[in-house]
Amino acid sequence: MSKAQLLTRKWIGYIVLILMLLIIIAPFYWMVITSLKSNNEISAIPPSMFPIHPTFSQYTQTFGQFGFGIYFRNSLIVSIISTIVVVILASLASYAIARLPIRGKTFIMVTLLVISTFPQVSVISPLFVIMEHLGWLNSYQALIIPYVAFNLPFAIWIMRTYFAGIPRELDEAARVDGAGVLTTVFRIILPLSTPGLFTGAIFTFVACWTEFFFALVFNTDNSFRTIPVGIALFGGQFTIPYGTIFAASTVAVLPIVILVLIFQKWVVAGLTSGAVKG
Amino acid sequence: MVSPALLFVALVTLFPIGYSIWMSLNHIQSSTNGFQFSFAGLSNYKIVFNSPLFHQALIFTIVYAVVTVLVELVLGLLVALAINQPIKGRGFAIAIMLIPWTLITVISAQMWGYIYNGVYGVLDYLMQSLHLINSPIVWLGTPNLATISIMIADVWKTTPFVTMILLAGLQLIPSDLYEAAKIDGAGAFRSFFSVTLPLLRPSLALAALFRILQAFGLFDLPFVLTGGGPGTSTMSIAMLAYKAIFNDFEYGPGTAVAVITVLIILIMSLISIKAFRAQVGEVEE
Repeated sequence: MSKAQLLTRKWIGYIVLILMLLIIIAPFYWMVITSLKSNNEISAIPPSMFPIHPTFSQYTQTFGQFGFGIYFRNSLIVSIISTIVVVILASLASYAIARLPIRGKTFIMVTLLVISTFPQVSVISPLFVIMEHLGWLNSYQALIIPYVAFNLPFAIWIMRTYFAGIPRELDEAARVDGAGVLTTVFRIILPLSTPGLFTGAIFTFVACWTEFFFALVFNTDNSFRTIPVGIALFGGQFTIPYGTIFAASTVAVLPIVILVLIFQKWVVAGLTSGAVKG
Repeated sequence: MVSPALLFVALVTLFPIGYSIWMSLNHIQSSTNGFQFSFAGLSNYKIVFNSPLFHQALIFTIVYAVVTVLVELVLGLLVALAINQPIKGRGFAIAIMLIPWTLITVISAQMWGYIYNGVYGVLDYLMQSLHLINSPIVWLGTPNLATISIMIADVWKTTPFVTMILLAGLQLIPSDLYEAAKIDGAGAFRSFFSVTLPLLRPSLALAALFRILQAFGLFDLPFVLTGGGPGTSTMSIAMLAYKAIFNDFEYGPGTAVAVITVLIILIMSLISIKAFRAQVGEVEE
Protein backbone atom coordinates (compact mmCIF):
# COMPACT_ATOMS: atom_id res chain seq x y z
CA MET A 1 0.00 0.00 0.00
CA SER A 2 1.20 3.48 -0.76
CA LYS A 3 1.70 6.07 1.97
CA ALA A 4 -1.41 7.96 0.95
CA GLN A 5 -3.48 4.77 1.07
CA LEU A 6 -2.14 3.91 4.51
CA LEU A 7 -2.97 7.38 5.74
CA THR A 8 -6.51 7.17 4.35
CA ARG A 9 -6.93 3.81 6.02
CA LYS A 10 -5.77 5.25 9.32
CA TRP A 11 -8.23 8.12 9.06
CA ILE A 12 -11.10 5.76 8.28
CA GLY A 13 -10.06 3.70 11.30
CA TYR A 14 -10.16 6.71 13.61
CA ILE A 15 -13.49 7.96 12.27
CA VAL A 16 -15.11 4.54 12.68
CA LEU A 17 -13.66 4.18 16.15
CA ILE A 18 -14.89 7.58 17.32
CA LEU A 19 -18.34 7.13 15.76
CA MET A 20 -18.72 3.76 17.41
CA LEU A 21 -17.68 5.06 20.82
CA LEU A 22 -20.15 7.95 20.51
CA ILE A 23 -22.98 5.60 19.56
CA ILE A 24 -22.16 3.29 22.47
CA ILE A 25 -21.80 6.03 25.04
CA ALA A 26 -24.70 8.34 24.02
CA PRO A 27 -27.56 6.23 25.51
CA PHE A 28 -25.53 5.74 28.72
CA TYR A 29 -24.97 9.47 28.94
CA TRP A 30 -28.70 10.00 28.52
CA MET A 31 -29.46 7.44 31.23
CA VAL A 32 -27.05 8.94 33.77
CA ILE A 33 -28.04 12.58 33.24
CA THR A 34 -31.74 11.66 33.37
CA SER A 35 -31.15 10.07 36.77
CA LEU A 36 -29.80 13.43 37.95
CA LYS A 37 -32.82 15.44 36.78
CA SER A 38 -35.99 16.32 38.64
CA ASN A 39 -39.25 14.77 37.46
CA ASN A 40 -40.32 18.01 35.76
CA GLU A 41 -37.09 18.23 33.84
CA ILE A 42 -37.31 14.57 32.77
CA SER A 43 -40.55 15.14 30.88
CA ALA A 44 -39.64 18.63 29.66
CA ILE A 45 -40.05 19.53 25.99
CA PRO A 46 -37.51 20.14 24.52
CA PRO A 47 -35.35 17.82 26.65
CA SER A 48 -32.32 19.42 28.30
CA MET A 49 -29.02 17.96 27.13
CA PHE A 50 -27.53 18.14 30.62
CA PRO A 51 -29.22 18.47 34.02
CA ILE A 52 -29.96 22.16 34.64
CA HIS A 53 -30.56 21.64 38.36
CA PRO A 54 -28.70 18.42 39.17
CA THR A 55 -30.28 16.57 42.08
CA PHE A 56 -29.83 13.26 43.83
CA SER A 57 -33.50 13.10 44.78
CA GLN A 58 -34.14 10.25 42.32
CA TYR A 59 -31.50 8.19 44.10
CA THR A 60 -32.82 8.85 47.58
CA GLN A 61 -36.35 8.00 46.37
CA THR A 62 -35.21 4.83 44.64
CA PHE A 63 -33.59 3.44 47.73
CA GLY A 64 -35.91 5.11 50.21
CA GLN A 65 -39.56 4.94 49.39
CA PHE A 66 -39.25 2.44 46.49
CA GLY A 67 -37.08 0.01 48.44
CA PHE A 68 -34.71 -0.84 45.65
CA GLY A 69 -32.17 -1.99 48.20
CA ILE A 70 -33.96 -5.36 48.48
CA TYR A 71 -33.41 -6.08 44.78
CA PHE A 72 -29.75 -5.16 45.07
CA ARG A 73 -29.30 -7.41 48.06
CA ASN A 74 -31.01 -10.31 46.27
CA SER A 75 -28.99 -9.82 43.09
CA LEU A 76 -25.76 -9.69 45.08
CA ILE A 77 -26.55 -12.82 47.11
CA VAL A 78 -27.64 -14.86 44.08
CA SER A 79 -24.80 -13.70 41.81
CA ILE A 80 -22.02 -14.07 44.37
CA ILE A 81 -23.05 -17.54 45.59
CA SER A 82 -23.59 -18.78 42.01
CA THR A 83 -20.18 -17.44 40.99
CA ILE A 84 -18.37 -19.08 43.90
CA VAL A 85 -20.05 -22.45 43.27
CA VAL A 86 -19.32 -22.23 39.53
CA VAL A 87 -15.65 -21.39 40.10
CA ILE A 88 -15.13 -24.28 42.53
CA LEU A 89 -16.95 -26.87 40.39
CA ALA A 90 -15.48 -25.57 37.14
CA SER A 91 -11.89 -25.58 38.38
CA LEU A 92 -12.16 -29.22 39.49
CA ALA A 93 -13.97 -30.33 36.34
CA SER A 94 -11.73 -28.48 33.91
CA TYR A 95 -8.61 -29.81 35.64
CA ALA A 96 -9.94 -33.31 35.15
CA ILE A 97 -10.82 -32.61 31.53
CA ALA A 98 -7.42 -31.09 30.83
CA ARG A 99 -5.52 -33.94 32.50
CA LEU A 100 -7.46 -37.18 32.47
CA PRO A 101 -8.05 -39.29 29.38
CA ILE A 102 -11.84 -39.19 29.20
CA ARG A 103 -13.47 -40.76 26.18
CA GLY A 104 -15.44 -38.29 24.03
CA LYS A 105 -14.75 -35.37 26.34
CA THR A 106 -14.74 -32.91 23.47
CA PHE A 107 -18.14 -34.08 22.30
CA ILE A 108 -19.60 -33.92 25.81
CA MET A 109 -18.16 -30.45 26.39
CA VAL A 110 -19.40 -29.04 23.10
CA THR A 111 -22.86 -30.52 23.62
CA LEU A 112 -23.18 -29.04 27.11
CA LEU A 113 -21.75 -25.75 25.90
CA VAL A 114 -24.31 -25.48 23.11
CA ILE A 115 -27.17 -26.47 25.41
CA SER A 116 -26.08 -23.93 28.01
CA THR A 117 -26.53 -21.18 25.44
CA PHE A 118 -30.09 -22.29 24.68
CA PRO A 119 -32.68 -19.69 25.62
CA GLN A 120 -34.16 -20.24 29.07
CA VAL A 121 -37.63 -20.75 27.64
CA SER A 122 -36.61 -24.21 26.43
CA VAL A 123 -36.37 -25.53 30.00
CA ILE A 124 -38.73 -23.21 31.82
CA SER A 125 -41.85 -25.34 32.26
CA PRO A 126 -40.17 -28.48 33.66
CA LEU A 127 -37.98 -26.39 35.97
CA PHE A 128 -41.06 -24.50 37.14
CA VAL A 129 -42.95 -27.73 37.82
CA ILE A 130 -39.97 -29.14 39.73
CA MET A 131 -39.41 -25.95 41.75
CA GLU A 132 -43.08 -25.80 42.61
CA HIS A 133 -43.02 -29.45 43.66
CA LEU A 134 -40.00 -28.85 45.91
CA GLY A 135 -41.53 -25.66 47.29
CA TRP A 136 -38.55 -23.67 46.03
CA LEU A 137 -40.39 -20.93 44.18
CA ASN A 138 -39.50 -17.57 45.75
CA SER A 139 -36.15 -18.61 47.16
CA TYR A 140 -32.48 -17.98 46.41
CA GLN A 141 -31.81 -21.58 45.35
CA ALA A 142 -34.52 -21.26 42.68
CA LEU A 143 -32.09 -18.98 40.86
CA ILE A 144 -28.72 -20.25 42.09
CA ILE A 145 -29.28 -23.81 40.81
CA PRO A 146 -30.15 -22.92 37.19
CA TYR A 147 -27.53 -20.14 37.15
CA VAL A 148 -24.80 -22.56 38.20
CA ALA A 149 -25.90 -25.16 35.66
CA PHE A 150 -26.16 -22.75 32.78
CA ASN A 151 -22.83 -21.05 33.44
CA LEU A 152 -20.74 -24.05 34.37
CA PRO A 153 -20.04 -25.30 30.81
CA PHE A 154 -18.66 -21.95 29.63
CA ALA A 155 -16.56 -21.51 32.78
CA ILE A 156 -15.11 -25.00 32.30
CA TRP A 157 -14.45 -24.18 28.64
CA ILE A 158 -12.50 -21.05 29.55
CA MET A 159 -10.53 -22.55 32.46
CA ARG A 160 -9.63 -25.69 30.53
CA THR A 161 -7.58 -23.58 28.10
CA TYR A 162 -5.58 -22.11 30.97
CA PHE A 163 -5.10 -25.45 32.71
CA ALA A 164 -3.91 -27.12 29.53
CA GLY A 165 -1.06 -24.59 29.42
CA ILE A 166 0.35 -25.70 32.78
CA PRO A 167 3.06 -28.38 32.37
CA ARG A 168 2.15 -31.84 33.66
CA GLU A 169 5.54 -32.10 35.33
CA LEU A 170 4.24 -29.80 38.04
CA ASP A 171 1.44 -32.24 38.87
CA GLU A 172 3.87 -35.09 38.97
CA ALA A 173 6.29 -33.20 41.19
CA ALA A 174 3.40 -32.49 43.58
CA ARG A 175 2.38 -36.15 43.55
CA VAL A 176 5.94 -37.25 44.32
CA ASP A 177 5.85 -34.88 47.28
CA GLY A 178 2.75 -36.72 48.47
CA ALA A 179 0.05 -34.24 47.49
CA GLY A 180 -3.42 -35.57 46.67
CA VAL A 181 -5.46 -34.43 43.68
CA LEU A 182 -7.36 -31.75 45.60
CA THR A 183 -4.16 -30.36 47.12
CA THR A 184 -2.56 -30.31 43.69
CA VAL A 185 -5.49 -28.41 42.22
CA PHE A 186 -5.85 -25.87 45.01
CA ARG A 187 -2.16 -25.38 45.86
CA ILE A 188 -0.40 -25.74 42.52
CA ILE A 189 -2.77 -25.40 39.56
CA LEU A 190 -5.19 -22.69 40.68
CA PRO A 191 -2.56 -20.12 41.74
CA LEU A 192 -0.96 -20.55 38.31
CA SER A 193 -4.19 -20.00 36.45
CA THR A 194 -5.60 -16.96 38.25
CA PRO A 195 -6.47 -15.22 34.94
CA GLY A 196 -8.58 -18.21 33.94
CA LEU A 197 -10.33 -18.25 37.31
CA PHE A 198 -11.09 -14.55 37.19
CA THR A 199 -12.33 -14.72 33.61
CA GLY A 200 -14.66 -17.58 34.45
CA ALA A 201 -15.82 -15.76 37.57
CA ILE A 202 -16.49 -12.48 35.76
CA PHE A 203 -18.46 -14.17 32.99
CA THR A 204 -20.57 -16.03 35.50
CA PHE A 205 -21.16 -12.97 37.62
CA VAL A 206 -22.21 -10.84 34.64
CA ALA A 207 -24.55 -13.58 33.39
CA CYS A 208 -26.20 -13.94 36.82
CA TRP A 209 -26.39 -10.19 37.37
CA THR A 210 -28.18 -9.66 34.05
CA GLU A 211 -30.43 -12.75 33.95
CA PHE A 212 -34.11 -11.88 33.64
CA PHE A 213 -36.27 -14.81 32.53
CA PHE A 214 -35.71 -17.31 35.37
CA ALA A 215 -35.81 -14.51 37.92
CA LEU A 216 -39.13 -13.26 36.51
CA VAL A 217 -40.73 -16.71 36.52
CA PHE A 218 -39.38 -18.30 39.72
CA ASN A 219 -39.33 -15.38 42.12
CA THR A 220 -42.56 -13.45 41.86
CA ASP A 221 -42.54 -12.36 45.49
CA ASN A 222 -41.24 -8.81 45.87
CA SER A 223 -38.85 -9.80 48.66
CA PHE A 224 -37.01 -12.25 46.34
CA ARG A 225 -36.91 -10.16 43.18
CA THR A 226 -33.59 -9.32 41.57
CA ILE A 227 -32.53 -6.06 39.92
CA PRO A 228 -33.59 -6.85 36.32
CA VAL A 229 -37.07 -7.89 37.44
CA GLY A 230 -37.35 -4.88 39.73
CA ILE A 231 -36.39 -2.51 36.94
CA ALA A 232 -38.63 -4.23 34.36
CA LEU A 233 -41.75 -4.30 36.50
CA PHE A 234 -41.17 -0.85 37.89
CA GLY A 235 -43.72 1.78 37.17
CA GLY A 236 -47.42 2.15 36.93
CA GLN A 237 -49.98 1.47 34.28
CA PHE A 238 -49.86 4.91 32.71
CA THR A 239 -46.64 6.67 33.62
CA ILE A 240 -43.15 5.26 33.70
CA PRO A 241 -41.00 6.77 36.48
CA TYR A 242 -37.87 7.13 34.36
CA GLY A 243 -35.96 9.10 36.99
CA THR A 244 -36.24 6.29 39.51
CA ILE A 245 -35.60 3.60 36.90
CA PHE A 246 -32.44 5.28 35.69
CA ALA A 247 -31.15 6.01 39.18
CA ALA A 248 -31.48 2.29 39.94
CA SER A 249 -30.00 1.39 36.56
CA THR A 250 -26.98 3.62 37.04
CA VAL A 251 -26.23 1.99 40.38
CA ALA A 252 -26.76 -1.48 38.84
CA VAL A 253 -24.47 -0.75 35.89
CA LEU A 254 -21.58 0.84 37.81
CA PRO A 255 -20.12 -2.18 39.65
CA ILE A 256 -20.10 -4.30 36.49
CA VAL A 257 -18.54 -1.56 34.39
CA ILE A 258 -15.77 -1.09 36.94
CA LEU A 259 -15.21 -4.85 37.21
CA VAL A 260 -15.05 -5.36 33.46
CA LEU A 261 -12.81 -2.36 32.82
CA ILE A 262 -10.33 -3.54 35.47
CA PHE A 263 -10.21 -7.06 34.06
CA GLN A 264 -10.76 -6.10 30.41
CA LYS A 265 -7.76 -8.00 29.03
CA TRP A 266 -8.92 -11.29 30.51
CA VAL A 267 -12.53 -10.69 29.56
CA VAL A 268 -11.62 -10.02 25.94
CA ALA A 269 -9.43 -13.13 25.92
CA GLY A 270 -12.28 -15.18 27.40
CA LEU A 271 -14.87 -13.80 24.98
CA THR A 272 -12.78 -14.74 22.01
CA SER A 273 -11.34 -17.98 23.38
CA GLY A 274 -13.92 -20.00 21.49
CA ALA A 275 -12.64 -18.55 18.23
CA VAL A 276 -9.02 -19.24 19.07
CA LYS A 277 -7.73 -22.75 18.84
CA GLY A 278 -7.45 -23.87 22.48
CA MET B 1 -14.28 -35.30 39.71
CA VAL B 2 -15.57 -34.17 36.36
CA SER B 3 -18.68 -36.30 36.42
CA PRO B 4 -20.54 -34.63 39.32
CA ALA B 5 -20.22 -31.21 37.69
CA LEU B 6 -21.25 -32.41 34.25
CA LEU B 7 -24.00 -34.61 35.66
CA PHE B 8 -25.41 -31.61 37.49
CA VAL B 9 -25.35 -29.55 34.30
CA ALA B 10 -27.07 -32.33 32.38
CA LEU B 11 -29.65 -32.69 35.16
CA VAL B 12 -30.60 -29.01 35.05
CA THR B 13 -30.33 -28.51 31.27
CA LEU B 14 -30.61 -31.74 29.28
CA PHE B 15 -33.16 -33.47 31.49
CA PRO B 16 -35.63 -30.54 31.43
CA ILE B 17 -35.44 -30.42 27.63
CA GLY B 18 -36.42 -34.08 27.55
CA TYR B 19 -39.08 -33.49 30.21
CA SER B 20 -40.36 -30.55 28.13
CA ILE B 21 -41.05 -32.95 25.27
CA TRP B 22 -43.01 -35.21 27.63
CA MET B 23 -44.95 -32.24 29.05
CA SER B 24 -45.80 -31.03 25.56
CA LEU B 25 -47.45 -34.39 24.88
CA ASN B 26 -49.69 -34.12 27.92
CA HIS B 27 -52.78 -32.32 28.96
CA ILE B 28 -51.70 -30.59 32.16
CA GLN B 29 -53.83 -29.04 34.83
CA SER B 30 -52.63 -27.26 37.89
CA SER B 31 -54.58 -28.16 40.99
CA THR B 32 -54.19 -27.75 44.72
CA ASN B 33 -52.27 -31.05 44.99
CA GLY B 34 -49.79 -30.35 42.18
CA PHE B 35 -49.96 -30.80 38.45
CA GLN B 36 -52.21 -33.41 36.85
CA PHE B 37 -50.83 -34.99 33.67
CA SER B 38 -52.91 -36.94 31.16
CA PHE B 39 -51.42 -38.11 27.90
CA ALA B 40 -52.79 -36.15 24.98
CA GLY B 41 -50.61 -37.18 22.05
CA LEU B 42 -49.93 -34.38 19.60
CA SER B 43 -53.05 -32.40 20.44
CA ASN B 44 -51.04 -29.56 22.01
CA TYR B 45 -49.06 -29.22 18.81
CA LYS B 46 -52.32 -29.15 16.84
CA ILE B 47 -53.52 -26.27 19.02
CA VAL B 48 -50.24 -24.42 18.53
CA PHE B 49 -50.02 -24.92 14.77
CA ASN B 50 -53.63 -23.83 14.32
CA SER B 51 -53.10 -20.65 16.31
CA PRO B 52 -52.73 -17.49 14.20
CA LEU B 53 -50.91 -15.92 17.14
CA PHE B 54 -48.22 -18.62 16.91
CA HIS B 55 -47.81 -18.01 13.16
CA GLN B 56 -47.42 -14.31 13.79
CA ALA B 57 -44.92 -14.81 16.63
CA LEU B 58 -42.95 -17.32 14.59
CA ILE B 59 -42.69 -15.02 11.57
CA PHE B 60 -41.79 -12.05 13.78
CA THR B 61 -39.05 -14.03 15.56
CA ILE B 62 -37.57 -15.43 12.33
CA VAL B 63 -37.56 -12.03 10.62
CA TYR B 64 -36.12 -10.43 13.73
CA ALA B 65 -33.38 -13.08 14.07
CA VAL B 66 -32.37 -13.09 10.40
CA VAL B 67 -32.31 -9.29 10.09
CA THR B 68 -30.50 -8.53 13.35
CA VAL B 69 -27.94 -11.32 12.96
CA LEU B 70 -27.14 -10.28 9.38
CA VAL B 71 -26.97 -6.56 10.23
CA GLU B 72 -24.77 -7.25 13.26
CA LEU B 73 -22.42 -9.52 11.31
CA VAL B 74 -22.02 -7.02 8.44
CA LEU B 75 -21.69 -3.98 10.73
CA GLY B 76 -19.38 -5.86 13.10
CA LEU B 77 -17.20 -7.01 10.21
CA LEU B 78 -16.96 -3.48 8.77
CA VAL B 79 -15.99 -1.98 12.12
CA ALA B 80 -13.53 -4.80 12.84
CA LEU B 81 -11.88 -4.33 9.42
CA ALA B 82 -11.66 -0.57 9.94
CA ILE B 83 -10.00 -0.78 13.34
CA ASN B 84 -7.79 -3.81 12.60
CA GLN B 85 -4.65 -1.68 12.38
CA PRO B 86 -2.31 -0.09 14.87
CA ILE B 87 -4.24 3.03 15.84
CA LYS B 88 -4.12 4.90 19.09
CA GLY B 89 -6.86 4.31 21.66
CA ARG B 90 -7.92 0.95 20.29
CA GLY B 91 -7.39 -0.79 23.62
CA PHE B 92 -9.58 1.82 25.31
CA ALA B 93 -12.21 1.41 22.60
CA ILE B 94 -12.30 -2.35 23.10
CA ALA B 95 -12.83 -1.81 26.82
CA ILE B 96 -15.77 0.50 26.06
CA MET B 97 -17.14 -2.04 23.60
CA LEU B 98 -17.48 -4.50 26.47
CA ILE B 99 -19.93 -2.29 28.33
CA PRO B 100 -23.10 -2.82 26.25
CA TRP B 101 -22.51 -6.57 26.45
CA THR B 102 -22.48 -6.41 30.27
CA LEU B 103 -25.59 -4.25 30.39
CA ILE B 104 -28.76 -5.75 31.84
CA THR B 105 -31.03 -6.04 28.76
CA VAL B 106 -33.95 -4.76 30.77
CA ILE B 107 -32.03 -1.55 31.47
CA SER B 108 -31.20 -1.07 27.82
CA ALA B 109 -34.88 -1.61 27.02
CA GLN B 110 -35.92 1.09 29.50
CA MET B 111 -33.18 3.37 28.14
CA TRP B 112 -34.40 2.99 24.57
CA GLY B 113 -38.02 3.30 25.68
CA TYR B 114 -37.22 6.74 27.05
CA ILE B 115 -35.24 7.68 23.92
CA TYR B 116 -38.10 6.53 21.65
CA ASN B 117 -40.82 8.19 23.77
CA GLY B 118 -43.37 9.79 21.47
CA VAL B 119 -43.92 12.87 23.66
CA TYR B 120 -40.59 13.82 25.23
CA GLY B 121 -38.25 11.33 23.57
CA VAL B 122 -34.85 12.70 22.63
CA LEU B 123 -34.76 10.85 19.28
CA ASP B 124 -37.77 12.73 17.91
CA TYR B 125 -36.37 15.97 19.31
CA LEU B 126 -32.98 15.46 17.62
CA MET B 127 -34.53 14.43 14.32
CA GLN B 128 -36.84 17.45 14.38
CA SER B 129 -33.95 19.78 15.19
CA LEU B 130 -32.08 18.41 12.19
CA HIS B 131 -35.25 18.80 10.08
CA LEU B 132 -35.25 15.11 9.25
CA ILE B 133 -38.91 14.87 10.27
CA ASN B 134 -41.64 17.49 10.62
CA SER B 135 -43.75 16.00 13.37
CA PRO B 136 -42.85 13.56 16.13
CA ILE B 137 -42.85 9.88 15.21
CA VAL B 138 -44.46 7.45 17.64
CA TRP B 139 -41.70 4.87 17.36
CA LEU B 140 -43.42 2.12 19.28
CA GLY B 141 -46.86 2.96 17.90
CA THR B 142 -47.06 0.95 14.67
CA PRO B 143 -46.08 -2.72 14.15
CA ASN B 144 -43.33 -1.99 11.61
CA LEU B 145 -41.76 0.89 13.49
CA ALA B 146 -41.94 -1.01 16.78
CA THR B 147 -40.17 -3.97 15.16
CA ILE B 148 -37.46 -1.72 13.77
CA SER B 149 -37.10 0.03 17.15
CA ILE B 150 -36.51 -3.30 18.90
CA MET B 151 -34.02 -4.28 16.21
CA ILE B 152 -32.09 -1.02 16.66
CA ALA B 153 -31.88 -1.56 20.41
CA ASP B 154 -30.57 -5.09 19.78
CA VAL B 155 -28.05 -4.01 17.13
CA TRP B 156 -26.80 -1.29 19.49
CA LYS B 157 -26.24 -3.75 22.31
CA THR B 158 -24.77 -6.68 20.40
CA THR B 159 -22.75 -5.31 17.48
CA PRO B 160 -19.75 -4.45 19.72
CA PHE B 161 -19.72 -8.08 20.94
CA VAL B 162 -19.72 -9.37 17.34
CA THR B 163 -17.03 -6.85 16.43
CA MET B 164 -14.78 -8.15 19.21
CA ILE B 165 -15.07 -11.78 18.12
CA LEU B 166 -14.38 -10.84 14.50
CA LEU B 167 -11.49 -8.56 15.44
CA ALA B 168 -9.88 -11.43 17.34
CA GLY B 169 -10.36 -13.61 14.25
CA LEU B 170 -8.81 -10.98 11.99
CA GLN B 171 -5.75 -10.76 14.21
CA LEU B 172 -5.14 -14.49 13.77
CA ILE B 173 -4.71 -14.16 10.01
CA PRO B 174 -0.96 -14.12 9.30
CA SER B 175 0.11 -10.94 7.52
CA ASP B 176 2.37 -12.78 5.06
CA LEU B 177 -0.80 -14.14 3.44
CA TYR B 178 -1.79 -10.58 2.56
CA GLU B 179 1.69 -9.89 1.24
CA ALA B 180 1.60 -13.04 -0.88
CA ALA B 181 -1.77 -11.96 -2.27
CA LYS B 182 -0.33 -8.53 -3.08
CA ILE B 183 2.66 -10.05 -4.87
CA ASP B 184 0.22 -12.11 -6.91
CA GLY B 185 -1.38 -8.85 -7.94
CA ALA B 186 -4.53 -9.04 -5.83
CA GLY B 187 -6.20 -5.72 -4.99
CA ALA B 188 -7.87 -4.88 -1.71
CA PHE B 189 -11.20 -6.44 -2.71
CA ARG B 190 -9.62 -9.54 -4.14
CA SER B 191 -7.53 -10.15 -1.04
CA PHE B 192 -10.59 -9.57 1.15
CA PHE B 193 -12.59 -12.24 -0.65
CA SER B 194 -9.80 -14.78 -1.10
CA VAL B 195 -7.83 -14.31 2.13
CA THR B 196 -9.81 -12.51 4.84
CA LEU B 197 -13.26 -13.99 4.38
CA PRO B 198 -12.26 -17.67 4.10
CA LEU B 199 -9.93 -17.46 7.09
CA LEU B 200 -12.50 -15.57 9.12
CA ARG B 201 -15.12 -18.29 8.70
CA PRO B 202 -14.67 -19.92 12.13
CA SER B 203 -15.09 -16.55 13.87
CA LEU B 204 -18.09 -15.66 11.70
CA ALA B 205 -19.66 -19.03 12.47
CA LEU B 206 -19.08 -18.58 16.18
CA ALA B 207 -20.56 -15.09 16.22
CA ALA B 208 -23.52 -16.19 14.10
CA LEU B 209 -24.15 -19.20 16.32
CA PHE B 210 -24.10 -17.18 19.54
CA ARG B 211 -26.38 -14.58 18.06
CA ILE B 212 -28.87 -17.01 16.52
CA LEU B 213 -29.24 -18.83 19.83
CA GLN B 214 -29.88 -15.52 21.57
CA ALA B 215 -32.14 -14.04 18.90
CA PHE B 216 -34.53 -17.00 18.94
CA GLY B 217 -34.85 -16.67 22.70
CA LEU B 218 -35.77 -12.98 22.31
CA PHE B 219 -37.76 -12.03 25.40
CA ASP B 220 -36.40 -9.24 27.60
CA LEU B 221 -36.39 -6.45 24.99
CA PRO B 222 -39.98 -6.68 23.73
CA PHE B 223 -41.25 -7.63 27.20
CA VAL B 224 -40.14 -4.23 28.53
CA LEU B 225 -40.07 -2.07 25.40
CA THR B 226 -43.39 -2.94 23.75
CA GLY B 227 -45.05 -5.62 25.86
CA GLY B 228 -45.38 -7.51 22.58
CA GLY B 229 -47.42 -4.68 21.06
CA PRO B 230 -48.87 -2.76 19.44
CA GLY B 231 -51.45 -5.52 19.51
CA THR B 232 -49.39 -8.68 19.32
CA SER B 233 -47.13 -7.53 16.48
CA THR B 234 -43.82 -7.76 18.40
CA MET B 235 -44.65 -10.89 20.37
CA SER B 236 -41.73 -13.33 20.10
CA ILE B 237 -42.13 -17.10 20.43
CA ALA B 238 -40.48 -17.03 23.85
CA MET B 239 -42.95 -14.37 24.96
CA LEU B 240 -45.82 -16.41 23.56
CA ALA B 241 -44.65 -19.47 25.50
CA TYR B 242 -44.30 -17.37 28.66
CA LYS B 243 -47.78 -15.86 28.28
CA ALA B 244 -49.37 -19.21 27.51
CA ILE B 245 -47.78 -20.91 30.51
CA PHE B 246 -47.73 -18.24 33.19
CA ASN B 247 -50.60 -15.93 32.26
CA ASP B 248 -53.13 -18.34 30.76
CA PHE B 249 -51.89 -21.52 32.54
CA GLU B 250 -51.91 -23.41 29.23
CA TYR B 251 -48.97 -25.59 30.27
CA GLY B 252 -49.25 -28.14 27.47
CA PRO B 253 -49.50 -25.80 24.48
CA GLY B 254 -46.99 -23.36 26.05
CA THR B 255 -44.45 -26.12 26.49
CA ALA B 256 -45.12 -27.27 22.93
CA VAL B 257 -44.11 -23.77 21.78
CA ALA B 258 -40.90 -24.09 23.84
CA VAL B 259 -40.11 -27.47 22.24
CA ILE B 260 -40.71 -26.04 18.77
CA THR B 261 -38.32 -23.19 19.68
CA VAL B 262 -35.61 -25.72 20.58
CA LEU B 263 -36.12 -27.53 17.27
CA ILE B 264 -35.90 -24.31 15.27
CA ILE B 265 -32.75 -23.29 17.14
CA LEU B 266 -31.13 -26.66 16.44
CA ILE B 267 -31.95 -26.41 12.74
CA MET B 268 -30.77 -22.79 12.49
CA SER B 269 -27.53 -23.59 14.35
CA LEU B 270 -26.80 -26.48 11.99
CA ILE B 271 -27.51 -24.30 8.97
CA SER B 272 -25.20 -21.55 10.21
CA ILE B 273 -22.40 -24.00 10.99
CA LYS B 274 -22.80 -25.60 7.56
CA ALA B 275 -23.00 -22.22 5.85
CA PHE B 276 -19.68 -21.15 7.27
CA ARG B 277 -18.29 -24.66 6.81
CA ALA B 278 -16.70 -24.54 10.22
CA GLN B 279 -16.94 -27.50 12.52
CA VAL B 280 -17.37 -26.76 16.19
CA GLY B 281 -15.35 -29.86 17.01
CA GLU B 282 -12.46 -28.59 14.95
CA VAL B 283 -12.10 -25.55 17.17
CA GLU B 284 -11.30 -27.82 20.06
CA GLU B 285 -8.44 -29.93 18.74
